[in-house]
Amino acid sequence: MDGNGRWAQRRALPRTAGHRAAETTVIDIIEAARAAGVEWLSLYAFSTENWNRPGTEVDYLMRLVRRVVRKHAPLLLARGIRCRFLGAADPRIPRELAQDFDDLATLTADNQGMTLTVAFDHGGRRDIVEAAKSLIRNGTPADDVTERVFADHLPFPDTPDVDLVIRTSGEQRISNFMLWQVAYAEWVFPEVLWPDFRASDFLTCLHTYQRRDRRFGGVPPQTNGDPS
Amino acid sequence: MTTGTTGTADKVPLFGPESQFRAFFDDPRWALAMIRATVLEAAHPQIGAALADNSTFVAHPWRRLRNTFLSMRRMFNADPAVREREAARLNRLHARMSGSDTRGRAYDAMDRAARAWVVATLYESAVTMCRLSGQPLDQDTMERMYAEYRTFLAALEGDAGELPEDLNDFWRYFDRVVEDELENTEAARIILYRLFDHLPAPALLDGAPTLWAAGRAVVSPLLGAITVASLPEPYRRRAGLAEMPGAPTLMQGAYLAAGLTRFLPEGWINAESIIEALSLSPDSDDPRARTVTALRARMKRASALLRLLTPLSGDTGPDPVPASSAAAEGRRSAEEFFRQVLDQTGDGHLDWPDLAAMARELATRLDLDEPEETRLYDAFAAWWRELQAALDTDGDGRVSAAEYAAAVPSLAGPALIRVAEVLFDVTDKDGSGTINADEHRALFRTAFHRDLTTTDGTYGRSAFVGDFLSFMSGRRRNTAYDPLLADA
Repeated sequence: MDGNGRWAQRRALPRTAGHRAAETTVIDIIEAARAAGVEWLSLYAFSTENWNRPGTEVDYLMRLVRRVVRKHAPLLLARGIRCRFLGAADPRIPRELAQDFDDLATLTADNQGMTLTVAFDHGGRRDIVEAAKSLIRNGTPADDVTERVFADHLPFPDTPDVDLVIRTSGEQRISNFMLWQVAYAEWVFPEVLWPDFRASDFLTCLHTYQRRDRRFGGVPPQTNGDPS
Repeated sequence: MTTGTTGTADKVPLFGPESQFRAFFDDPRWALAMIRATVLEAAHPQIGAALADNSTFVAHPWRRLRNTFLSMRRMFNADPAVREREAARLNRLHARMSGSDTRGRAYDAMDRAARAWVVATLYESAVTMCRLSGQPLDQDTMERMYAEYRTFLAALEGDAGELPEDLNDFWRYFDRVVEDELENTEAARIILYRLFDHLPAPALLDGAPTLWAAGRAVVSPLLGAITVASLPEPYRRRAGLAEMPGAPTLMQGAYLAAGLTRFLPEGWINAESIIEALSLSPDSDDPRARTVTALRARMKRASALLRLLTPLSGDTGPDPVPASSAAAEGRRSAEEFFRQVLDQTGDGHLDWPDLAAMARELATRLDLDEPEETRLYDAFAAWWRELQAALDTDGDGRVSAAEYAAAVPSLAGPALIRVAEVLFDVTDKDGSGTINADEHRALFRTAFHRDLTTTDGTYGRSAFVGDFLSFMSGRRRNTAYDPLLADA
């Protein structure tokens, strides 16, 4: 979800206006993904590094996210979307917002449709460190640690490997996003800024992905990737 | 059948299933009448002081309700041996309560006049509840019931001499006490104005704090108004209680409506199953617990939706749910532990009555007789002296939440270990050196927990002592001890 700030600057608006415009895109993309049959959608809303932004912008984002969560909670429930929040552990997150995250996750926990993971205050490295801590706390012997066992200690261990990462606004970096799960992900970098990103752009990205030849490190290009 | 003997009535047995007293057990009006009787009790200066100091009804009202209910049922059991044992237990329990009120007047829970007053309020409230709901008792029933209550008092006291023998004299006695002795005590004010405003959710509804708070906000003022309107007029005047327009009508309407439940099919309202269900905790292995867990999940979702739909502008109030990060790790803050476990009487301080209340709860659960009960109390008393010496830095004789927070690590002294050992000894009824499944169930009301470090289906001394210490000092949440000491 990159490019909110630049979107606003191009229109001579404050950066906060860009964040506000992003809300429409978020809802649009959730709906498009669901309609296209995507089962796992993750949005990178706020990274652990985003705390370094100016205090007023962070405050604004917190209030905005809270409003968005509350506004769309009934819709997400009605659409059968299971919502959850990855990260969201920092004490700087306002308590009311954390409560709303909890409430939305509780409310939609039994939904069977798409799983929407909102990475908020997320850092891929931190998740890996947490998994390591959890392994050590459990007293797992070093020889027993496999990729499978390790992945079980990551937050939300049911999350499958990521197939496709879409990074808007032309940025071509990983920026600490779900480092473990993106090991074999395909990447698409549309030039469009996030507030201008629409369902049609999302479908274009999906088509690009379908044409990709996923080899998972192997040689013979037999089939397209099976997302399991 | 007035003095000495308990239930050896010649005609109809006064106790047992036929008694008038038992007829009220499942009557919803009895709930309103009990609140009223408790206010009248608490308005008695001696009883009020004893309640304010010793009772756990503010912090753990549901546990208190359950214990009172079970005790009443035993006192009206058809078997005289059960009754005598319960009376002896109640006497021992009350003999441990004495002290002085805020104005320095001494109180003693064994005071004969005060105990007679308790029985008098129960009787008078039962009669009044029938009057208020439009089904007054006839003279014969009133006399018979009065005899029952006097026998109840005699079972506790040895004789019922403090209550007049004749019902006519009783009404004069009652009016005199209301006119001359009752005061606007702190305990009465707490019951009328604080208890229901702050009533914690019972174990069953613990997972839905929002729903509980919303329901409580509606019901609590109503209950207060109903109770005030049902109190005797002279007391309302003396205590300066508000007279609200419509309150008498509301009160009579409530009693009338509660009385209408008599048209429901028999067995629909059963106080015992209601109270048992309310104190059902989700971790218990009771078959009903699964239904409860499913219900709780639904309620949790409903309250989550309710919170999310609440308009943002009104969110300045305090959040009932603590930050989840601490809870997730199974630890609680010092403040939480102080409030939920240590401060049993809910007065904001830790002093002897708090620890005595823990001992009382444990002794009640284990159904202890002498001398085990005294051993347990003595162990708790030693722990109190240790706590007082270590924590009471300002020397006021009690431990405040701040003093406790400042010195948490020093809580696990030798006296606490002694408490754990004594608790193990008295729980281990057959003296086998281990706690078997039955003994475990007596204390915790649930079977062994799956991950318990048990060997061949028993619970050894060191594991028991270790778990108790980590609950009491390490502040670790514990599925077995939480329902025992922390639940409301």
